[in-house]
Amino acid sequence: MRTLNPAMKFVTLLCVTFVLAFRYNPVLNLAVFALCMAALLISRVKPKTLGLLMLPILLAAVGMFFTGYRFSADASMPVAAADFLVSNSQVWNGVAQASRVLAYAGVGFLFTLTTDRILMVKSFEKQFHLPQVWAYGLLAAWGVFPQAVQEYKRTRAAFRARGLSVFPVSPALMKPLLVKSVRWSEELAIAMESKGFSGEEKRTEYMEVRVHARDWLFLIFCVALVCVFSI
Amino acid sequence: MSIRIEHLKFTYFEDRKDILCDLSAEFDAGEITILTGSSGCGKSTLLYLAAGIYPHSAGIRRSGTVSVEGVRPDSLTPSKRCHLVGMMFQNPELQFCMDTVEHELLFCLENLCTPREKMMTQVEEALAFCEISHLKKRTLHSLSGGERQKVMLACMTLLSPKWLLLDEPFANIDDASARMIAGKLKELNRTKGIGILAVDHRLENWLGIADQVRVMENGVLRPEVMDVSTLDGALLKELGVIVPGEAYEPELPAAKPGEVVLKLRHLAVKHENNPIFTDVNADFRSGCIYAIVGESGCGKSSLFGALSGLYSYGGQALLENRELRKLRKKELGKVGFVTQNPQDQFVSDTVREEILVGLKGQPDAEAKTEEILRGIKLWRYRDISPYMLSQGQQRRLGVAALMAYPCKALVCDEPTYAQDRNNTAAIMDALCRQAREHGVALIFSTHDRQLAKDYADQILELKGGGLCVR
Repeated sequence: MRTLNPAMKFVTLLCVTFVLAFRYNPVLNLAVFALCMAALLISRVKPKTLGLLMLPILLAAVGMFFTGYRFSADASMPVAAADFLVSNSQVWNGVAQASRVLAYAGVGFLFTLTTDRILMVKSFEKQFHLPQVWAYGLLAAWGVFPQAVQEYKRTRAAFRARGLSVFPVSPALMKPLLVKSVRWSEELAIAMESKGFSGEEKRTEYMEVRVHARDWLFLIFCVALVCVFSI
Repeated sequence: MSIRIEHLKFTYFEDRKDILCDLSAEFDAGEITILTGSSGCGKSTLLYLAAGIYPHSAGIRRSGTVSVEGVRPDSLTPSKRCHLVGMMFQNPELQFCMDTVEHELLFCLENLCTPREKMMTQVEEALAFCEISHLKKRTLHSLSGGERQKVMLACMTLLSPKWLLLDEPFANIDDASARMIAGKLKELNRTKGIGILAVDHRLENWLGIADQVRVMENGVLRPEVMDVSTLDGALLKELGVIVPGEAYEPELPAAKPGEVVLKLRHLAVKHENNPIFTDVNADFRSGCIYAIVGESGCGKSSLFGALSGLYSYGGQALLENRELRKLRKKELGKVGFVTQNPQDQFVSDTVREEILVGLKGQPDAEAKTEEILRGIKLWRYRDISPYMLSQGQQRRLGVAALMAYPCKALVCDEPTYAQDRNNTAAIMDALCRQAREHGVALIFSTHDRQLAKDYADQILELKGGGLCVR
């Protein structure tokens, strides 16, 4: 998975999610989820990392199960099963809802945990013709992210030290971050320009991100697979 | 081969006075020139104009010209300009757009349209020149300030401009890294003929490197051309420059060591499972001033971060025998901290509220606020946002806001970062007076050894994972 072209991988997984959106089939959802997990483990994603990331997803899935279970198309519902994609069976309906959460999470993790962000942006630039300014602006913003997290902690610590308690997304906390982010963007843009980057002129590429035959095969295989399971 | 400036008038806002007032100068590429002067005298502005960043990014050039090797740098596109002038900035954290050292250097070469097959060899050479080959695969955010500036120097080596402009490149790095970078700059000047023009408040790192020192004052260049070996100490001191070997001469009451207020026992901090320091032990007494020094990356900021609640720590940090991390909300103000950037401390919408927060509940809070603000000459700005103040004013407000609290310990991480001599002395005088008069334990970190020597009762060095008395 890690060697696939990121743009092609993105398109492939987008196609899969598109098919999932129009199918109400727990078997298909669970099959997609199982395949994603297998692909993640084959791609040497640490089981511990995956386990931790899956925790909130499992919670959401359990929640969705009970939502589906409680609101199945029985007599108490003001709608009929024929009107909406809601089953008469409570368990089936619950599993269908929960498995959707798992399938979407699986596809999302498969992309994010097996894709290098630099390669991804370069691939989007090359294959999707993303403007250079956007591509490198995105990378620069990514680079600033750890600092933004640090700044957020620093601002919270400042409030705490002054005996003020604020909730995590309080505007009082966000205001200093907004002021600083404007300054950071200006400084970063100047630093990038001083290294010869203009966003408009021709550049060479050290890592040329190409689309290989395997990327097309992956696309065809995935789309065919979800179509087969859908039937 | 020179930078020529003729009758330059420049302002940041149409309705404000000129920051550069009919300035004319010429700097020769064969010499390493240091431009110095007090904060706000216009030296960084001049550098940004020579780099072609202004007026394109900010400000208005009212009249005059700036030319580098006979070319106006602001008339060139970034890809052409980088062959003419390169720039190293003060803040090493905001100079990179890629994730690793290797990718950042490749980014520079890609901008220069270097053929792919030549790129890696050039990257290796630049890293070897800057003695950072071991950092090639490291992520940039994991590097210390000194290491980042070395990476920036490697970028500049790759870009190989005709002129290299530096805006206080050593403001936040240790002396050893600063000396190493200064030595490399001299090598670039002498062997590759790259002209060097640097702006700096502190001259000690340039001794033996710079050929001449020029001083700016109120937007004009003074006529004196000083040799680093024959610096006019009295003049520089008067103009707010930090002169090597010149003491700060603080006028402080004698220390009256009180009780131990802050006790550190086996304090340890780690980032992403890498231990930063493992066994810090120290006692800090009320009314005493402590300086913490150490090389870049030794963990000074992590130590201050742990004390200010930014990082979790192992071991014990006891404030009046109570664990710091267990202090109740009402007691949190007992440890005040001053950050490198005063903006990190602001919690209110106006200057007045910034002081009032600390006096909440006191009957004469309004009167005391007025007294404090008048004392730091900020009363006229009481209803504006703290972010609208100048950097020096923000720093004064930050320190004054903490003085409104009944602090037991004041933890200051590089409180004089990028300040000129006069501001440095004013900040340290205010902090130290607070420590002496109110019996506060003042702990500050600095790269300026003279500052540590002149203000601290005890100098502690963070080295090898522990803290030792120097």
